[in-house]
Amino acid sequence: MSQMPRLHPDLDIMMEYSAGTLPLAQSACVFAHIENCAQCRQLVAELSDVGGALLAGLDPVPVGDSQLDAVLARLDEEPPLQYSAPARAPDSLPAVLQRLMRGDFSDLSWKSIGKSLRISYLSTGDTQHEFALYHIKAGGRVPEHDHCGSEMTLVLEGGFSDAEGSYHKGDFIFRRPGDVHSPTALQSEDCICVAVLDAPLKFMGWKFRWMNPFFKLRAS
Amino acid sequence: MLAVNCRVDGDAGAPSSARKDEWSECLGRIAQDQDRAAFTRLFRHFAPLMKAFALSGSKFSAIHADELVQEVMLKVWQKAGAFDPEKAAANTWIYTIARNCRTDMYRRLQKFDTAISAEDFDLEEESEEAFVVLHQHRNRHRVRELMQDLPPDQAQVVAKVYMEGKSHSEVASELDLPLGTVKSRVRLAIQKLQIQFER
Repeated sequence: MSQMPRLHPDLDIMMEYSAGTLPLAQSACVFAHIENCAQCRQLVAELSDVGGALLAGLDPVPVGDSQLDAVLARLDEEPPLQYSAPARAPDSLPAVLQRLMRGDFSDLSWKSIGKSLRISYLSTGDTQHEFALYHIKAGGRVPEHDHCGSEMTLVLEGGFSDAEGSYHKGDFIFRRPGDVHSPTALQSEDCICVAVLDAPLKFMGWKFRWMNPFFKLRAS
Repeated sequence: MLAVNCRVDGDAGAPSSARKDEWSECLGRIAQDQDRAAFTRLFRHFAPLMKAFALSGSKFSAIHADELVQEVMLKVWQKAGAFDPEKAAANTWIYTIARNCRTDMYRRLQKFDTAISAEDFDLEEESEEAFVVLHQHRNRHRVRELMQDLPPDQAQVVAKVYMEGKSHSEVASELDLPLGTVKSRVRLAIQKLQIQFER
């Protein structure tokens, strides 16, 4: 049994997720968390009941028989092929990530930032949010940076710490604009996380500040 | 005055043993026998709710709303075999299909280029311990009953999120409220609906 994550998305994120209003890239990140979190799966099930109860209580809007006939005429259609996630060993990467990565960590193209950080951008189809994997070498430090927008982080492998605490596999962290931090990977192993941003990072230290103009949001 | 407010409805709040859940039965018959009569009954009940759902967000025109109704009802037919009355109420199960279709249709209209559909974020039904299922069973009827007693300002916010498909910040700007107020109404509503939430 893998350890249960300790940090989870907040209620407002979970509710927007269960109502289907969370942007695509953020939904993918939340889903990657709850795939391995029984507590959050239970919460999503209960929150979906709220949607079900509200649906049942709506004032019906008349639908003509022509609509019914149109659907009856289509019942023999072959259902469209659905993507179905392959059976997953417990503890393996979340299925949604396997799908977005189309391979292994080593198949991705990584961009190095300094000595201990590498970033790989994945395309989700969400043009407002960047969905990236961060690989921080064991004990390595990400240069101090500011969040111009919000940042969702999900720890996939290893862990990291910053001034506010330490985070481990499965933990979900949400940072708001204006939070400055400088995460450091745990000494024992490399850390890989998902980060979903809605605005580019801004590095603070003089050594890295020159790079800021190159940090555009890579949302696709 | 005696208010008789008794909708004969699939998930009315009767004890589950005595409950005859018409919509779960319909779904069962569709799955087992491809029963078109059962589907027609289900359609006549749910399609008008679906249309109300499609129109409530004001994101779709009437044409798109009709398209959504057809798409959702066809999916209900195709996926009925995956419905398990022990794990979800028929209302909830159909709601999640409607929600996914709406999200996908919205993204199509926005010309999103993505290989992912909202359905991919559905959780595979899993065999969890019996007590979890029991807990859900009790709870989902409670949610429906408790909903009636929500104060209007809380009910309004929750309906805007789920039925109109709006984010918390969209709700805040529409109602001209601070985001924090919307979030605290949501939190209070979830407490009143007795949804376990530990963070």
